Amino acid sequence: MQEQRRILDLTIRAGEILLHNGAEAFRVQETMTKIASAYDATNFHAYVLPNGIFASIDNREREVYFTNTRHVPLGPIHLGRVAAVNQLSRDIVAGKYTIDNAWKELDRIIEIPYANKMLQIFWAGICGATFCYIFGGDFFDSIVAFPMGAILYIFLLSVANKKISRIMTHIIGGGLVAACGLILFEFGLGNHMDKMIMGSILPMVPGVAFTNSIRDFFSGDHLSGMSRLIDAVLITFCIAIGVGVVLNIGGYLGMGGAL
Amino acid sequence: MIIDFIVAFFATVSFSVLFNIPRQQYIYCGITGAVGWIAYLLSSYIGLSAVLASFVATAVLTYFARMFSVYRKTAVTVFLIAGLFPLVPGSGIYYTAYYFVMGENQMVVSKGVETVKIAIAIALGIVCISALPNKMFAGIRRRERNR
Repeated sequence: MQEQRRILDLTIRAGEILLHNGAEAFRVQETMTKIASAYDATNFHAYVLPNGIFASIDNREREVYFTNTRHVPLGPIHLGRVAAVNQLSRDIVAGKYTIDNAWKELDRIIEIPYANKMLQIFWAGICGATFCYIFGGDFFDSIVAFPMGAILYIFLLSVANKKISRIMTHIIGGGLVAACGLILFEFGLGNHMDKMIMGSILPMVPGVAFTNSIRDFFSGDHLSGMSRLIDAVLITFCIAIGVGVVLNIGGYLGMGGAL
Repeated sequence: MIIDFIVAFFATVSFSVLFNIPRQQYIYCGITGAVGWIAYLLSSYIGLSAVLASFVATAVLTYFARMFSVYRKTAVTVFLIAGLFPLVPGSGIYYTAYYFVMGENQMVVSKGVETVKIAIAIALGIVCISALPNKMFAGIRRRERNR
């Protein structure tokens, strides 16, 4: 009976880590069920929403059911942890872990650090530059997009731990990039301002979330598809509002004439 | 073409860093993304529409992602999500919202419809290749073992 309970706790913990770090709902459900059945759990059921997990298990005599519910807000995406939990679940199925060892491994996984902040800022700049090129900017635009992407990421990192709503973060982020673009363009840097803005804003735009929501629809998970879709659209609108407002103001001031 | 490959490679790697993918996988993520982007450019070059080209490119990319996931013994998601970045219609949804805010209603509809079509094409591409049996990819690991 105790053992069943510990299996439930372990699966919930694994599912929580997966969901919090950006795994898809159906994959979380699959992994939890796999872990539970690897430990010969009876009557294990998991129900996973994009922001919450429900799971229940009985004691082996079907007398008592244990249930566990978690609310899991989405954190910053960390695919390294997702991959590690995936690997763990595969090893559990292969019989390499006892429940205690699996707990220890999960504790190790949540300690996997995020990438170094300077490194993240640098690569956000690279991201801005490369995507500016992909969207049709020229070499000069890409070089100018580098600091814009980096500035955006400095802003995102600095507000990450403060209690500012995601909506405001994205409006301000969009505005910030547009303002940088306008100012740099006004100084004669870059040939295509819209390409520069588009490229450097891309780390914020939820393109993958949008595509994944369609994937959810295809796999029959309409609930999680719908909530992801709405979230992606809302966030994009916030970014566009930020950019649009700043560009309009710039227009009144007679800046960014190429628009 | 070589420049495009390099650019797409670094674009994908930059997202791999931002999404905290383990460092050992950066190169493989980059290759996945770059291959997908080149496939997209080639299919556009031979005259396929953006939607069809996205489908073809995603299919090629997903195939590579599955190969690497067997070869590197890592979840497919890692390579897939990172590799998709150059293809995903991020600019599409952004421009749709942007025209919406700016009040250019006709552009909203045309951009929006195209974006949804591309997203569906990408999702279909992933679904098609994910449906292939694991056996097709098992050969890679066996060859590794013999070496």
